[in-house]
Amino acid sequence: MSEPGPAPPLTKETLRVLAQAQGFALTDAELDGLLPLVRAVRTMMDELAAVPLEDVEPTALYHML
Amino acid sequence: MTDLVWKSMGELARLVATKAVTPVEVVQAHLDRIGALDGTIKSYITVMGDSARAAARAAEARVNARETLGPLHGVPIGLKDLYCTKGVKTTGGSRILGNWMPTEDATVVTRLADAGGIMLGKLNMHEFAYGPEGLNAHYGTPWNPWDRNTHRICGGSSSGSGAAVAAGLCAGALGSDTGGSIRIPSSLCGLTGLKPTYGRVSRAGALPLAWSLDHVGPMCRSAADCALMLGAMAGYDPRDPSTSVLPVPDYAAALTGQVTGLRIGLLGRFFLESAGAPQRQATEQAVKTLEGLGASVREITLEQMKHAAAASAAVISAESYAYHEPWLRTRATEYGPDVRERLLVGAFVSGSEYLKGQRVRRLIRDEVDRVLGDVDVLIAPTLPIAAVPVGAREVDIDGKPQPVRPSLVRYTRPFNVSGHPVASVPCGFTVDGLPIGMQVIGRTFDEATVLRLADAYQRVTDWHTRRPPLGV
Repeated sequence: MSEPGPAPPLTKETLRVLAQAQGFALTDAELDGLLPLVRAVRTMMDELAAVPLEDVEPTALYHML
Repeated sequence: MTDLVWKSMGELARLVATKAVTPVEVVQAHLDRIGALDGTIKSYITVMGDSARAAARAAEARVNARETLGPLHGVPIGLKDLYCTKGVKTTGGSRILGNWMPTEDATVVTRLADAGGIMLGKLNMHEFAYGPEGLNAHYGTPWNPWDRNTHRICGGSSSGSGAAVAAGLCAGALGSDTGGSIRIPSSLCGLTGLKPTYGRVSRAGALPLAWSLDHVGPMCRSAADCALMLGAMAGYDPRDPSTSVLPVPDYAAALTGQVTGLRIGLLGRFFLESAGAPQRQATEQAVKTLEGLGASVREITLEQMKHAAAASAAVISAESYAYHEPWLRTRATEYGPDVRERLLVGAFVSGSEYLKGQRVRRLIRDEVDRVLGDVDVLIAPTLPIAAVPVGAREVDIDGKPQPVRPSLVRYTRPFNVSGHPVASVPCGFTVDGLPIGMQVIGRTFDEATVLRLADAYQRVTDWHTRRPPLGV
């Protein structure tokens, strides 16, 4: 496998396909409203990916008591 | 009777216990005021007039029978409309739950009633708690009582709670806080609001937004009233496995008025330095006031704050989507468009990303814990801005346009991520007469120190006693 590069910018059509894969058939107007929000969250997820997290456990752990 | 609606919760309880007033008089004064003002303010979705009057009569009978009374006996309380109330509509501010009647009360509702509180009604909110502006397309957006001429936001999501307490339409209210939803409306409406430590107060019977970020807490006109409400609500609940078994201190007794020797960390970078001038100056002046009372201050920087927005986004997106997914598939058109869009974003956050958010949370929490080993509390502005007009998408902060929504949550959501207790405390007004609040952040489960500092500050200032210009 080649080295992963930066993800291409999310387009409305890509979002349409991604939404369909999740079972949502969104209208053009709905995609227009959703696209900037999804772009913003994807940018934030890219930020999270860059945070060094070796040996850091999630706070969402299963507690027996 | 107008004066009754401006009494503190503590004072009302004392007046009732000494028979200076009756619970019926107190409740009726509030119901009359709701009738006179709430057509415009729109703080209530459901007014529980009949049951409130019946509860008031029963409360009066208990006083006359010289029974032992709870700390909130006869005190009218409003409930954000995501708290289940048995036999009373609980809408979540939505059409989807527009006619839903729970069959049992939320734990906190039961505990407040056991303490003698009288539930006046269900308060308006941003739909399903997913918005810091406090808008509501279904029930109307509450009107911030501090501006009679311009329809300004109350802040959200506990917008109705903010408006109602500020306007004297209840003595105190329940809010909830996932990214700032108690503190934002508290700051914008001139109230004292407390987001306790995660796990201090049961979430059982509260409609969730994000299970691991949701906090239950009071919104009042003073820290002393917050202490009373918290004391009634806090404590382990087997219905909510996230609640702590730690004992509940006597929060009211902790309000000694003393802050001599208390060490304050003032949060500069990320917080104070990016606030608007009025908010920055009000917070700095508040800190000087606290120094005058014997506290010491040093500047503190939290390096991990830069990751708080992303961590919060990962967690809230995934958890809110998980809860709403069935309705998003079958009843999507019944949501307001802004909330529907925000919920759908969660479909595009992976499980791995959700867990990254939960791992970054640990970094943030650990840093705040570490810093609170060197100081006793942290202080920051609650918001960089004051209340903007409804519909405004941008706001000027020191000459630069900034988007409203991210500005509203910037300083608050890091402490949902970390879980530490935070009070928003009134500390000034803008030249336009709009309230300004500051956050007081404490160690986990040290709500007593947070409230002690807030109360001490309120003993020497009067920001929290001012009333909005409603003309009545």
